[in-house]
Amino acid sequence: MRRARVRASAIGVVVAAVFAGAHAISLIAQAPAPAYRAPRTAAGHPDLQGVWRAWNLARYDLEDHGARPGVPAGRGFVVDPPDGKIPYQTWALEKRKELLSKIHEPDPYKNSDPLAKCYIPGIPRLTYLGWPFQIIQTPEYVAFNYEWSHKKRLVPVTPVAPPPSPDDVSNWTGVPRGRFDGNALVVNLTNFNAYTWFDMAGNFHSEALKVTERYIPLSADVMRYEATMEDPKVFTRPWTIRMELQRQKDTPILDYECTAMLDELGIHHTWPRDFDVQ
Amino acid sequence: MSNRHLFSLFVGLVCAASVTALAQGGGPIPRRADGKPNLTGNWNGGIGLSHTVILEEHPGGFGIQAGKGLVIDPPTGVIPYQPWALAERNRRRDDANAYEDPVGHCEYYDVGRMHSFAQDIFHAGDSIVIHANQHNTRVVSLTRREHLPQGIRLWNGDPIGHWDGDTLVVESTNFNGRTRMAIGGDFYSPNAVLVERFRMVDANTINWTMTITDATVFTRPWTMTSAVPMRRLPPPQGGRDFDDEDTCHEGNVPLVHLKNVYDQARGIKPTGK
Repeated sequence: MRRARVRASAIGVVVAAVFAGAHAISLIAQAPAPAYRAPRTAAGHPDLQGVWRAWNLARYDLEDHGARPGVPAGRGFVVDPPDGKIPYQTWALEKRKELLSKIHEPDPYKNSDPLAKCYIPGIPRLTYLGWPFQIIQTPEYVAFNYEWSHKKRLVPVTPVAPPPSPDDVSNWTGVPRGRFDGNALVVNLTNFNAYTWFDMAGNFHSEALKVTERYIPLSADVMRYEATMEDPKVFTRPWTIRMELQRQKDTPILDYECTAMLDELGIHHTWPRDFDVQ
Repeated sequence: MSNRHLFSLFVGLVCAASVTALAQGGGPIPRRADGKPNLTGNWNGGIGLSHTVILEEHPGGFGIQAGKGLVIDPPTGVIPYQPWALAERNRRRDDANAYEDPVGHCEYYDVGRMHSFAQDIFHAGDSIVIHANQHNTRVVSLTRREHLPQGIRLWNGDPIGHWDGDTLVVESTNFNGRTRMAIGGDFYSPNAVLVERFRMVDANTINWTMTITDATVFTRPWTMTSAVPMRRLPPPQGGRDFDDEDTCHEGNVPLVHLKNVYDQARGIKPTGK
């Protein structure tokens, strides 16, 4: 109906094309609603509880990439834009190149990757860093317990105060506000700092980053994970990654004290934090 | 004043501030559908410095409050160390070795030491999850009956729980032996078995004890408790604060000073940047 009406004029054709294009993008960004209906918690929320893990190569590079030292070649995870590339502004592409040149520095102080210093990886990187995480739900919030350095975050899923001003609070994992949308948990994140990356390939952002995460159960043991990133200081447009998370049934979350690993490597984490070395 | 003492003062101020915020009165134990006590809530820690500094009764000193002993068995209140282990505990207690305490590196607290601070407990499904100070999190399984294979070693061990009447009993094994029970250097080995008992006595009070069995370090099992019972904290004004973040390591500037003290005590030119 809509298409038939706008076909009447040249402008209408353009509008139709734009609409169709926008529609395709929104399909990519949000993906079709899966037929699976997750069991509900006592509070009536989709039950996402359990131990989950991303068994994929996203931790190395979110874009299509060839092999590098210690990095298997692999497909990327960017589903929007359709070319699979993170839509950097020109200056930011140059900066990424520079950052990438310093990811093999053995001294964490000189290494460009914040993870080399065991700094909190940020969101979404913590999701697919390679370590599992456990989801626990109460009627008021969803708790994420990460095996990586015992990190945790609490996502409120009932109305709470709006996020504080970014001038007052900036977090490594942002400030989350969650809600359920049908089967999916949707988490809006704001109030990031500029010290986290998206992967090991120098992909970075500014403190203006906003992330929308979607956790969508596809079956009892598989969950789709999507994250849409917006950062007008670094990117030309929003972009979205998508991957699947698998339920880990055989082992609870264990532990990985990242800073203790620095100790074991003989690295004294006594560098100045004034903040930061980038 | 050493940095340790400064830290102790800081902890003291935080604890003193939290004393005023405790929920008053008791009331019936809240229960889950299965009839078991519902431990969900925000609970204060074992208020008082003794928990973080020294577990046995001790006099006050500069930067350290006098503290009653937390050891309830043996009745002497003295931790039953084997001679070698007592010497090692005392070595760790020396200021010159304070750098070795993993907590100074923003690494993990011991199970008991977590009780110095407020704990957010939520009881969901078959798990009890405890979020404590900094990045200390524990997930206690209420369904698993066997511990993990011996080859898996963890900072706070492998906790599995069961109910003994209204008491939650949590047994932890599979330790890596790297934590310290207090700034005062107390420790147990990877072979330790820890049995904690969380006994809810009313809606706002949980009595907590921990029995440590470790033939590598001690001459007999011993039991400690928290400096005061765990008391329910009222909901924060304006609702729960979802916006804070554990960032100890990310801002851990003072470690350089501990490292310099450590190096100087060993005749090494301080390496801190």
